Amino acid sequence: MAPSSIIQLNDVSFSYAGEKDARALDHVSLDIAPGEFVGVLGPSGAGKSTLAAALSGAIPHHFRGQLFGAVIVDGQDTCDVTLTDVSRVVGSVNQDIDAQMVASVVEDELLFGLENFGVPHGEIESRLTTSLEAVGIPELREREIATLSGGQKQKVAIAAMLALRPRVLVLDEPTAALDPASTTMVFETLRALNEREGITVVVIEQKVATLSEYCGRILVLDQGRLAFDGTPREVFSHGAELRAMGVDSPRVARVSNSLAQHGLIAPGEPCLTVAEAKRLVAGLVGGVASASPRGEKNPVPEPSSRPRAAQGEPVVSFRSVGFTYPSTGAEVRDLTFDVYPGEVVGVIGQNGAGKTTLTKLLNGILHPDSGEVRVAGLDTRETPTSRLAAHVSTLFQNPDRQICKDTVLDEVAFGLELTGVEGREARRRASTVIEHFGLPAGEAPFSLSRGQRQMVALASVVVMEPDVVLLDEPTSGLDYRECMTVMETVAEMAERGCAVAMVCHDMEVVSDFAERVIVMARGEIVGRGTAAEVFSDAALMARAGVEPPQVVALSAALAEDVSPAFAGIAQVSGIVDLVEEMVRRD
Amino acid sequence: MTSIIDYVPGGTLLHLLNPVAKLALAAAIIVATFLADTYALLLGLLALTFALGAYAGVAGRLARLLKVLVPLAVVMLALQLVFVRSGDVIWGFVTTGGLTSGSKVCLRLLGVALPLVLVLMVTKLTDLANACVEVLHVPYRYAFTFTTALRFVPVFSQEMSAIMEAQTARGVEYDTRNPFRKLRLMLPLCVPLLVSSVGRTDAIALAAEQRGFYLRTRESSYKRYPLVARDWAVLACCVALVALGVVA
Repeated sequence: MAPSSIIQLNDVSFSYAGEKDARALDHVSLDIAPGEFVGVLGPSGAGKSTLAAALSGAIPHHFRGQLFGAVIVDGQDTCDVTLTDVSRVVGSVNQDIDAQMVASVVEDELLFGLENFGVPHGEIESRLTTSLEAVGIPELREREIATLSGGQKQKVAIAAMLALRPRVLVLDEPTAALDPASTTMVFETLRALNEREGITVVVIEQKVATLSEYCGRILVLDQGRLAFDGTPREVFSHGAELRAMGVDSPRVARVSNSLAQHGLIAPGEPCLTVAEAKRLVAGLVGGVASASPRGEKNPVPEPSSRPRAAQGEPVVSFRSVGFTYPSTGAEVRDLTFDVYPGEVVGVIGQNGAGKTTLTKLLNGILHPDSGEVRVAGLDTRETPTSRLAAHVSTLFQNPDRQICKDTVLDEVAFGLELTGVEGREARRRASTVIEHFGLPAGEAPFSLSRGQRQMVALASVVVMEPDVVLLDEPTSGLDYRECMTVMETVAEMAERGCAVAMVCHDMEVVSDFAERVIVMARGEIVGRGTAAEVFSDAALMARAGVEPPQVVALSAALAEDVSPAFAGIAQVSGIVDLVEEMVRRD
Repeated sequence: MTSIIDYVPGGTLLHLLNPVAKLALAAAIIVATFLADTYALLLGLLALTFALGAYAGVAGRLARLLKVLVPLAVVMLALQLVFVRSGDVIWGFVTTGGLTSGSKVCLRLLGVALPLVLVLMVTKLTDLANACVEVLHVPYRYAFTFTTALRFVPVFSQEMSAIMEAQTARGVEYDTRNPFRKLRLMLPLCVPLLVSSVGRTDAIALAAEQRGFYLRTRESSYKRYPLVARDWAVLACCVALVALGVVA
């Protein structure tokens, strides 16, 4: 083997025990050199987690199945050494943070590995302090892990690995449950470790914009095969192929790819940052725009295709709602807003801003301490939560918390039966919806994949035909294709007059689907307006700790320096159409 | 996420004792409680537990635990009244014999549960595990299993309440006032809880192995847990407590 690579996969295939015909990895070969920062992308079920397990030695030592080919870590075949020996080289951080903590206090969490690997006791103190400092959390040393936020826990997990001085870090979706600010924090930490300590980083991630910013190399897996392997620019120049397999591209890459498709620029490597895209567009239209500063293009975003029923009765109304958690003292104050039938309202803000509390006040799990919440004309304080359920349906972030029946059919019909729909009728309606989603009606929900379980949960929401749909992080843990299925279903429901309120960290999704946005920070509503208005308000975004979507940032930058016509454009196609119009005009 | 048996930091003598000495103290109080047959001693041992709790600054939390234990004790009392019938009849099926034995069972229940909880409140789980491995030569895998199980009590109770919230939002009547109906509705929830806990267990095993679980020996722990003079003093008190139980 080449001495230059720290990890080498030679024609590796793997199938899990009991699934002989389906290969989770299919003839994968790759070399990773020391010091690389590698991102792994792919749709659900493409074999990303299997790849991580193979790199960290969990395959073949923990998961049963058939392995072909060889995984060579630091010159040794992982089949020939124990899992513990592989772990001396490769530190791995998994998706479920709670499940990899072995102690209840941060310090003990770090000590566990150090003690086990027999690090000399004289050296332990310095290892403890340096690894806590490396991830920027020396002040958390004595804290109980249970009291930390998700981002902090993730850093503890990384510090616990660092203390062991691994040469490779393998992370499986480390930021799936984190807000954008914490995601950036984790990736900054990884970058610092990669650059300063020369640690090789392999990270599986769905957030394409983040990956393209931090990684030097991106691997794309599809159905167990390595579909693409190259720099972010090389990989994202295949935008159309990626999309066909269910992988998103950063929006600015979509802008430049789309410009190339329209024949406005030569096809080639796409832009990866807002600044690059701005330079590209400015170069294309620069002369035109300065020669004829046009004001005729309407900067107001196109009116929604849906009837805005602002003059009608709101189906959800919050009036000066306040609530304080008795145990922690966390609170929300003075929430006042309405949601009308047929509209999609996004609620954004950082973790801890009070978004989840707002959803629980809406579906009646919490009752306001002050003020009033009315849903479909019912006061939530006077109506039992179980009766409100006929009017409000919630799609939870984690489908496993709501699934409790033995078959998909029973599961989908369950909600209807609870609200008093007669059994046979409930099953008939459930079957229709299940057919629409193409789900296996007779199977046990827990035997399905994570993405399909989310679809079962979604089907149970759709079948209710509720007045209000409440979405709590509807897209987390889903790949691009599943995410679009969920959101398009929700948009169809809105089309039919259902009011939708969604809490979401993915600003691209909010920008694409929400007509109105409510911005929360520290328990209060700090801003509201149309998606375009809110995202282009830089001061508001900073105050809420939210990064605006790339396209909005791009159009704001272009509006300022190139042409005011770009103001308020929120879609890739909008920017491309405008550029085309401006260029063709000459 | 504050569960009742969370560790409460502090610097009292009780906190500083060797975890094994603390365990011995709790065990001594429990043994004495079983042996004791007079109200004076039973109440005295309970008072001792509360005095220790007050000294360590956790009396409030112990009292909160009583809220859970007292209804249980009342059920025990009722059962004793029904099944133990001796002495004079006071009212209906209540006899003096039943009342005496019932009330003692109640006191024993409290006297057994509280000292253990007190120890968990003033000891970090990791220290407890490491000290048991070092001093008592308990195999580490058992100590690890025990502490992990305890650590996951609050995690699972949080998971359970999240599941119940999700089901309530779907229309399951957890807001019913009928406790039996609520219990019947809760049973199906064992499925999602079980599924998530089996997955968790597997993930923990993997995480622990990847951090050298199998290399760990009795000498691995960075912190040492020697028994010092104050621990021996406490152990002497333990013997005295048990003796008191036998004599009184």
